[in-house]
Amino acid sequence: MAAADRPTTVARRGGMGARLLWRALLVRRSRVLAAVTAIAVGAAVIAALASLYFDISAKMSRELRAYGANFIVAPASAEGDKTFSEATYRKLIAELPADRLVGASPFLYGVARIGEREAVIAGLDFAGAQKISPYWQVEGNWIGVDFDERRCMLGERLAESLGLHPGDKIEVSNDDGSFTTELTVRGIVETGEAEDDQILVNRSLAQKLLGMPNVVNLAMLSIQAEGEDADRLASTVEADFPGLDIRPIRQVSQSDGELLDKIKVLMAFVAGIILVITAVCVNSTLTAMIVERRREIGLQKALGADDSAIMRQFLIETVTLSLIGVAVGLVIGFGLAQLLGQAVFSTAISFRAIVVPATLAISLIAALAAAIVPIRRAIRIVPAQVLKGE
Amino acid sequence: MLQASSDELEEFETDSESQTRPVIETRGLTKRFGTVTALDHIDLTIRAGEFVSVMGPSGSGKTTFLNLISCLDTPTEGSYLLDGIDVSTFTEKERAVMRRERIGLVFQQFHLIPYLNAQENVMLAQHYHSVVDAEGATRALERVGLADRAHHLPSQLSGGEQQRVCIARALINEPSLILADEPTGNLDAKNEHLVMELFSELHREGRVIVLITHNPELGRRTDRTIWFEHGRRVRRASEAA
Ligand SMILES: Nc1ncnc2c1ncn2[C@@H]1O[C@H](COP(=O)(O)OP(=O)(O)OP(=O)(O)O)[C@@H](O)[C@H]1O
Ligand SMILES: [Mg+2]
Repeated sequence: MAAADRPTTVARRGGMGARLLWRALLVRRSRVLAAVTAIAVGAAVIAALASLYFDISAKMSRELRAYGANFIVAPASAEGDKTFSEATYRKLIAELPADRLVGASPFLYGVARIGEREAVIAGLDFAGAQKISPYWQVEGNWIGVDFDERRCMLGERLAESLGLHPGDKIEVSNDDGSFTTELTVRGIVETGEAEDDQILVNRSLAQKLLGMPNVVNLAMLSIQAEGEDADRLASTVEADFPGLDIRPIRQVSQSDGELLDKIKVLMAFVAGIILVITAVCVNSTLTAMIVERRREIGLQKALGADDSAIMRQFLIETVTLSLIGVAVGLVIGFGLAQLLGQAVFSTAISFRAIVVPATLAISLIAALAAAIVPIRRAIRIVPAQVLKGE
Repeated sequence: MLQASSDELEEFETDSESQTRPVIETRGLTKRFGTVTALDHIDLTIRAGEFVSVMGPSGSGKTTFLNLISCLDTPTEGSYLLDGIDVSTFTEKERAVMRRERIGLVFQQFHLIPYLNAQENVMLAQHYHSVVDAEGATRALERVGLADRAHHLPSQLSGGEQQRVCIARALINEPSLILADEPTGNLDAKNEHLVMELFSELHREGRVIVLITHNPELGRRTDRTIWFEHGRRVRRASEAA
């Protein structure tokens, strides 16, 4: 009767398992519904919080990064001179608390020619500029060392209009053609700001080219200081440098970042509680299902199912319930994220692909953890005991 | 009734049957549940082709014995050879293999899965054994006279029909042994007869069948009857020479 000579039937072995699974679940619709609902609710909350978290933090950090520098130093506006000396800049840096100084760069601006084309040239300290502008998108490379007078970086729009790429060589000269030098394009930089149209060179080179030795126009600083603390720091330093205007900028974004950190902790807390509740619901539902099915399990064992077959069956069942729950939860969760996004952050929340695997992984871990004890219970069922008696 | 020694019983067995291959051999097979000795040093040989009934008062250890020889349970003491393999020290996993490869079980309460139809219930035994084969399952149902009920759920079948599905399920993997614990206990006389007819046919085809029953009528229709009392094998006075 066993049809060992019919290979076509081999493939259908999985079919019986699937049939058993679906029928077993279908006859216990209310229990299945309870388990799926528990998982869906958990997954919805996880998905909503994950959507908020990933989307808001992506948006926020874009904003935050865009203002990497939080202090701007310029000559006091009352004076006619638009520059201040490099020596003053160095004294200023020396006076700042070193442990809170993230980065700083002076800037000197002027007009230069690349061939026939006029462009703004900016002289800066590349090492410092990289620290205060981590958001700059660079194709090719940053210039790593100060005093490099043979290479430059180009703003993305300027490079595009000139058809230049990293590695290309350009002739840069000053307005009257009295100073010319050949530079290699080290990198193309995209900032979304004025730099996109500029040619960036080392400060010392810009000073030579523009004929403005030992002076700069302004300086950008990134210092770990926010709010009133930043104001206080600015006025303290300003007092020592009467010729300079030192202004903190963009404090608002900074405090938004702090708020985000707090919300992150809150989200993790809520997600944790929801997961525990989900796991408890899944655990009790699975336990009830297994108690109801102890005869079936005993019979399956009597027919030759070993412990691993029983375990596999209930693991597959748990994963199936989880997948359905997570699918439902993701849809609800994304909707929930929109509501929360509008209510809390006044913004629409974009769908972030990472939310799907994150929600799935967290929900599966919770559901499988919840299934451990019920499955152990199923494995421990003794067929001789459950099959006798009425 | 009279207590008999193992030697006497062995002789009795040797007398009563031809010397075919032993399928079941137990030596000193004992099962205790705490302080209760449910089965007390049972020596027994059942050979290929035999149809054996097991009888005795309630609580005498019949089911306990069947659980041991069907590899559902392990003995506290003693050895058990099934088809010459010593299974008394087998692990749970190894016993599961023995069950699916060599044992067909028929229960008093049928134990069909309620949400699978007759054919699928038979196929479930194939599922754990080897490959699922709907045609094979249909043939097994034909064999028990239920070809036309293959797609009915257990709830749509009478008790007798359910028991025949159970027999088809026990047959499907060609086991060495068919073990039935009061298979007609829940059936009326007509269905009892039908089921007994089936067992007799299967026996004529050469299968080994061990049948627990309370009905002496059924006992007489088997090759021989093994009597249990208080967990021991006894020789019935009426059948003593
Ligand atoms: N799991 C168990 N735990 C404790 N005692 C048990 C267990 N199973 C059986 N027994 C005891 O072992 C003895 C034999 O039981 P068994 O079920 O084998 O009897 P039986 O001959 O099948 O009886 P019946 O004809 O009523 O089915 C009884 O005294 C019973 O109470
Ligand atoms: Mg019994």
